[in-house]
Amino acid sequence: MLIKLNTAWALFQGLLIESLPFLLIGVLISALARWLAPDGRWLQRLPDHPLLGPLSGAALGFALPACECGNVPVARRLLVGGAPLGTALGFLFAAPVLNPIVIASTWAAFPDQPWLLLCRPLGAIVVALALSLLLALLPEAQLLQADVLAERRLNQPLSSVSLLERRSGLIGIETPTATSRQPSGPTSARPSLQEVLSHGSREFVELALLLVAGCLLAALVQTLLPRQWLLELGSGPTGSILALMLLSLVISVCSSVDAFLALSFAAQVTPGALLAFLLLGPVIDLKLAGLLGLLLRPRGLVLATAGAGVSVLLIGQWINLWRR
Amino acid sequence: MTATQLQGLSLALWGVMLLRASGDGRLELLLRGVFHPLVGAAGVVLLGWAALVLMTRRGLPARLQDWRLALASGLIALLLIGLPPNPSFADLAQRRPSDDTSESELAFVLPPAQRSLTDWVRLLRTQSDPRLSVGEPVRISGFVLPSSEGPPQLARLLVRCCLADATPVGLPVRWPASQPWPKADQWLQISGTMGLQHGPQGEELVVVPQRITPIPRPRRPLEP
Repeated sequence: MLIKLNTAWALFQGLLIESLPFLLIGVLISALARWLAPDGRWLQRLPDHPLLGPLSGAALGFALPACECGNVPVARRLLVGGAPLGTALGFLFAAPVLNPIVIASTWAAFPDQPWLLLCRPLGAIVVALALSLLLALLPEAQLLQADVLAERRLNQPLSSVSLLERRSGLIGIETPTATSRQPSGPTSARPSLQEVLSHGSREFVELALLLVAGCLLAALVQTLLPRQWLLELGSGPTGSILALMLLSLVISVCSSVDAFLALSFAAQVTPGALLAFLLLGPVIDLKLAGLLGLLLRPRGLVLATAGAGVSVLLIGQWINLWRR
Repeated sequence: MTATQLQGLSLALWGVMLLRASGDGRLELLLRGVFHPLVGAAGVVLLGWAALVLMTRRGLPARLQDWRLALASGLIALLLIGLPPNPSFADLAQRRPSDDTSESELAFVLPPAQRSLTDWVRLLRTQSDPRLSVGEPVRISGFVLPSSEGPPQLARLLVRCCLADATPVGLPVRWPASQPWPKADQWLQISGTMGLQHGPQGEELVVVPQRITPIPRPRRPLEP
């Protein structure tokens, strides 16, 4: 038992220490955006169209060469800055794949499989579109965490949000509990550097603690569950896709390197399962669950997980039919 | 103490933890080399950021929630600093499928005596006839990986990112009949030659040791 605990502790440290720099990059970008555009007006000008919104959000991924851990604080900045919901969700779900580092690493790992280089970004866009459309069915109050919503309302124009929804002025804002102790408010005044640093430091500390919880969970599951079981679970086309989806949830490695990991078992699985592994991990895994919980309420998180699972499964099936 | 100062302290602890991890050699055990500078740089940035935040005099008084956050951060950072990782490579490798990566052709092949265990495994995957390597000198090191199908192998872990994605590669060894098999996780250096044996998939190469030396875990135990 002590041996297993030692191994789990090492896995936990590996996952956490590898992820923290990427989380820091995301928080720094978020802080920079808050300092450069405190009123978030440019965010509100992003397209609100059900299709163009997620697509423009996905395209923003090219500006952030980080994995999914770094994307969460930036997506939070988009949401609280008043960006259209679809744009923010499109960024959150597609940007971990649609960035130069991930595309380059996929190409480096699978230089002889151009279909994968094409299908991975396309698949990520399809999944992000599907999730944005699905989550838009929920009212924002049921989808977003209370503190994210409160700060978002403050930054949305009054033409789209009533004073009652804004919970400001005479109604009064609730005491924020998370990263918004000093709500930015609908002001165009640039916050001082000290304010930005203080806000960012709180954001980093909170996200780091959530990352700790996710890494701990992933390390324990990896230590207790032999990976061979997962790979052997699915020998058929559908079974192999489901097995690799489960594996991507458990392994929780960053999207910037998951293609190299997939390379080690690519010969054992169907093409659809391989793509499913590369698509699902960047959207949701055990390590990310806590971080996403800072943005989405449990209902939204469950819906996003289910939607991602179904859409990735369908894409995998289609690839298996195409590439058999 | 203000909430801002508490946050600054938490940031500083995370920074110290990353710098300590960079300095005490544990990264060699946890991450692939390309990530090491990133971890060190993140530690420096966090410490600099913490210094700027701690210099802030203004701020709201710390509330219970701020103390909780700082306490949790401090506790985790101290645990990480005080409890370095000591994984069992054999335990980890037994739960992972062996690395299946095969390269269609190797651009460069070292002389036999200079090949590492991983070099041998990669070479043998590209070589259809195992008899071509029989009699060649071998000088390799690795950890003992028990096998459910036979004698233990000498193995190494390959890592793409961090220990979480490590996959084992191993070579069969014809252990001396006069001695018991070595214990799992023991690091050994083996000098000998390549021999031939009949395995489950027909003829396969086996390391025939002439000298087996126990060694401590190397400073860089993971291979890319």
